[in-house]
Amino acid sequence: MLSVIRSALATPDLRKKILFTLMIVVLYRVGAVTPAPGVSYEAVQACQPDQGEQGVFSLLNLFSGGALLQLSIFSTGIMPYITASIIVQLLTVVIPRFEELKKEGQAGQNKLTQYTRYLTIALAVLQATGVIALATRGGMFANCPQDVIPDSSVGSTALIVLTMTAGTAVMMWMGELITERGIGNGMSLLIFLNIAARIPIEGEIILSNQGGAVFAVVCVFVLAIISSVVFVEQGQRRIPVQYAKRMVGRRMYGGTSTYLPIKVNQAGVIPVIFASSLLYLPDLISRLVTPETETSWFKRVMAEYVTNQSNWVHIAIYFALIIFFTYFYISITFNVDDRAEDMKKYGGFIPGIRPGRPTAEYLHFVLNRITLPGSIYLGIVAILPNFFLDLTGEGNNQNFPFGGTAVLIMVGVALDTVKQIESQLMQRNYEGFLR
Amino acid sequence: MALARTPVTKRIGQVLRRLIERPASVSLAKYEKLLPQIEQREDEVRALSDDELTARAGKLRDGEPSDSFSNEQLIEICALGREAGRRALGERAFDVQLLGVMGLLTGHVVEMATGEGKTLVGALAASGYALRGKRVHVISVNDYLARRDAEWMRPVFELLGVTVGWVEPSRTHEERRNAYHCDVTYGAVSEIGFDVLRDRLVTDVEQRVMAKADVAIVDEADSVLVDEARVPLVMAGSVDANDADEEVAKIVRRLRPGLHYETDPDGRNAWLTPAGASVVEKALGGINLYDEEGSERLAAVNVALHAHALLTRDVDYIVRDGKVQLINASRGRVAELQRWPDGLQAAVEVKEQLPPSDRGEVLDSITVQALVGSYPTVAGMTGTAVAVAETLREFYRLEVAVIPPNAPVVRVDEDDRIFDSPSSKLRAIVAEIKRVHAEGRPILVGTQDVAESEELAEKLRKAGLECTVLNARNDAEEAEIIAEAGKKGAITVSTQMAGRGTDIKLGGSNGTPEERAEVVELGGLYVIGTARYPSSRLDDQLRGRAGRQGDPGGSIFFASLNDDLVVSGAPDVPDGLVPDDDGEISHPAAKRHIDHAQRVMEGANLEIHRNTWRYTRLIERQRSDLLEFREKVLTTDVAAEYLQSEESEASKHYDDVVEKLGEDKARRMAREVLLFHLDQLWSDHLAFLADVRESIHLRALGKETPIDEFHRAAIPEYHKIIPTAKERLAETFQDAEVVDGELDVAAVGVRRPTSTWTYLVHDNPFDSDAEQALKKVRGLLRKKRW
Repeated sequence: MLSVIRSALATPDLRKKILFTLMIVVLYRVGAVTPAPGVSYEAVQACQPDQGEQGVFSLLNLFSGGALLQLSIFSTGIMPYITASIIVQLLTVVIPRFEELKKEGQAGQNKLTQYTRYLTIALAVLQATGVIALATRGGMFANCPQDVIPDSSVGSTALIVLTMTAGTAVMMWMGELITERGIGNGMSLLIFLNIAARIPIEGEIILSNQGGAVFAVVCVFVLAIISSVVFVEQGQRRIPVQYAKRMVGRRMYGGTSTYLPIKVNQAGVIPVIFASSLLYLPDLISRLVTPETETSWFKRVMAEYVTNQSNWVHIAIYFALIIFFTYFYISITFNVDDRAEDMKKYGGFIPGIRPGRPTAEYLHFVLNRITLPGSIYLGIVAILPNFFLDLTGEGNNQNFPFGGTAVLIMVGVALDTVKQIESQLMQRNYEGFLR
Repeated sequence: MALARTPVTKRIGQVLRRLIERPASVSLAKYEKLLPQIEQREDEVRALSDDELTARAGKLRDGEPSDSFSNEQLIEICALGREAGRRALGERAFDVQLLGVMGLLTGHVVEMATGEGKTLVGALAASGYALRGKRVHVISVNDYLARRDAEWMRPVFELLGVTVGWVEPSRTHEERRNAYHCDVTYGAVSEIGFDVLRDRLVTDVEQRVMAKADVAIVDEADSVLVDEARVPLVMAGSVDANDADEEVAKIVRRLRPGLHYETDPDGRNAWLTPAGASVVEKALGGINLYDEEGSERLAAVNVALHAHALLTRDVDYIVRDGKVQLINASRGRVAELQRWPDGLQAAVEVKEQLPPSDRGEVLDSITVQALVGSYPTVAGMTGTAVAVAETLREFYRLEVAVIPPNAPVVRVDEDDRIFDSPSSKLRAIVAEIKRVHAEGRPILVGTQDVAESEELAEKLRKAGLECTVLNARNDAEEAEIIAEAGKKGAITVSTQMAGRGTDIKLGGSNGTPEERAEVVELGGLYVIGTARYPSSRLDDQLRGRAGRQGDPGGSIFFASLNDDLVVSGAPDVPDGLVPDDDGEISHPAAKRHIDHAQRVMEGANLEIHRNTWRYTRLIERQRSDLLEFREKVLTTDVAAEYLQSEESEASKHYDDVVEKLGEDKARRMAREVLLFHLDQLWSDHLAFLADVRESIHLRALGKETPIDEFHRAAIPEYHKIIPTAKERLAETFQDAEVVDGELDVAAVGVRRPTSTWTYLVHDNPFDSDAEQALKKVRGLLRKKRW
């Protein structure tokens, strides 16, 4: 690992890319803490909620690297971009014109990317307006005595909206720049950064609340989780595949490199996000439907069993949902029939198994078997932090950076990026490192 | 001239128009300013005798060599070149042509309308480079054009004191070497590429034919750099007699489509159905095709099935002189010395009941990118560059500059006529030819393949219309056929081969001015395309045969919703396209759909290109690394030194050989043996990579990046090559014995290349997760619509 970094820095080309990425990262962090014009910095600092009181905003705040609750110029974060790409993706199903573009290769894809950018801007305007509306009405910072946005005139509001929208545009650009000229996938890297940026802050909270001994235990524990996640993430089942389309001359190759890999965690982090979002819903609904003061039985039950993350019922539901979504997600994204069909078309087969239906059935069998441990692993990683809730105080802790979602995302992005550096090294650094 | 003196307002207008219409191109405005100065020098140059002209051109050779040209040098080159062209060919280069020359001299790809005299432009630019001490290769798209252009331009080069040569497949070793040692060498991209490959495999420095060249001027740049670049040039050498499985071929011949095997709509793959597999297994004596042991037989079945179901005589290949000859799809010509890989060639030969040829083994390969990238300076010219400007920038870092036509194009391009079925389309084409022919207007029909050209010719003859067919079968008569295609009343049915570099003169090549005037009166050449090509550039190239140099002309394309283009590009034809009684569909959606299908194909082809490039970049790097070592072996005594220094038994054996054969011979033997092993290991390495490449896309299922995994597999394998080669060298010397004053090393010696082939694999045929989910949704929506 260290040798990889060393040789990466020794390769001028790669060093340039890494430095470029770091430069963007620095600019990005500066932007994330630069207050938007018209925002009272002191008021915002005074009103920073304690961990656990953020409620619904915590996920958004996590994804914006804390910029949201700072009301900084990057408050809107990259969420508008993520939403826009999902929407454009979905529109390719509905709008024939989009479907056509999608099929037209690079040129069409470029056009779709352009549309995604426009939509991002539109969504950013909406989100920025929403953020400001919440902030001025005091909805964002509970029990805040001061006005975070002192001047709520139309002009001033428009200026903030404009700034935040521009912030999102700049972020989008930064992400693309990293993808294009830096290392790794820019957007993923920015998300990674946002989550990682919270680590020191949360660490400090634990340290000041619980003292050094607990802090040390947590650190060891977190390292253990991360390394086991890294371990499992790289686990895969390799199904041997043979291609019998060519009459190979002198020798056949052992087939060490021709295999179909199925990851233990084939579904990635998506099931966890689905499950946790679903668990937020009851809380959100009850807040919307009933006034703050009223306490119905529904609300009480929800608060007791579903919203309270340290309750066993909550943990059990969460775990079950993750397992369900893992199977569900894999069943939509890994179409065994299509895979078997493709292999058949290109002359491939699994030795001992006939192509077509039998191959599909075999893949289905293997996939189902591997998904069980995979989903249990996901569930465990996701619920583990719930047992340590008391460490950072009460309440919603799911999105605390050592939580399941965050660790899974961070490890995923980090592995990808390291792999990319490695592969670039392999391509570039022929002499020295590789020989 | 007119260009340089246009008023400012108009110039601004031009700049704006350029930005809007051709966003990817650069401006040559600063070179336009030189045109008046070139003209000023004209009288002075005209007064020179031939010898004085040559001498004056020779003066350009003086001075420090540099990579760029000063304005003074540009002016001088253009002025002398224009005069040389006038004297030698009777063609005084137009201003726009000189602008093209300057565009080439400054390393651009220039877009010039067809018929604007690109050949002369290329020749003048080549002389310009040559006069500054550079060695130039003019790379053309085929052998015919390379030879024609070199011969045609020779007098111009001679007047300028520049030597010129050309290469083509039939030339001898000596002729090639002479050609490459000229200042300017013309050659087809494949020919130059193969010479590079052959030079890489020599065992003696003396055997090399090429001399290091500095500049590549690429004619028909889009075709060479984009279309041809999709597949690498691969050189193969024969290993042993082919062992095509005749038993399997016989069995496969009995299989029935649909029941026993299926093919995909774009005709790239064929596979057995379960029923077909059991039939084959039973016929082969009850084996299991799908276990480890059966896989060799399965490969034979698959190859035979491919030959049987997917390759059609007269479309993909023709049988001529008892041999199967491939047809290059993008040119419509016979691809000389080209074969299918991996036993497919033999399977086709068995299918046609011809004697099987030798089996080949890939010795080395190079991509067009790597080939072109090896020249320090690259420039290009074509009639259709703007459409691929992005690609040229991405892959070659070349900028496109657009040269305005000398005379405005007045060709009338009519709207496509679209039909519901191939038969109604064919009827309409025949009717259209009949109608236009009745006026006496010459017609050029561009078809998709040999079979179609012949079918159409047959139909025309039945309708009482006499026509000339130009296709891969009679490409030798190409020049004569094209020469007469512009005559009054001529009907020429051609494949794509009439698409590039051929100049159709109205009234025929030797026509009198009256004959020409008569054809002009009739509206010039009328071009009919029988189907849209897989790229709009190819369409434009065909259209470009008419309306050259301000001649009148017309073009029209016919298309049907069952054309191959539509079937493979966009099989979901929109509803509600109702044909009229003749099967013609006038609804604009039909045209839109066909345009869409064409864009899909363009996108897919670009993707193939990009993939070839990405995968071969690593291979090229490994190759150049290995070649460095090979060069050392070739030019020094590394091999012998290694054997001597070796503490193993080999050193004793080597000393033995030295004693018996003498120092010199022993060193040579060591060198040759090591070179042989290096070449063979490289060939094995390529085979290994091809094998890995075939299945690497599966890695995407495990969320890995196929290209990275490819590298991961390829690199450790590569690093074994040199140590293994040395080991084998030692082994050879241990085992070989001295017989009759020679070291008897069986199988030593580089096998001469005998054939070439191509391979194509998609990177990731799977979609991303999101894509998969969307597909499901799409499927559900479709069902609902029902």
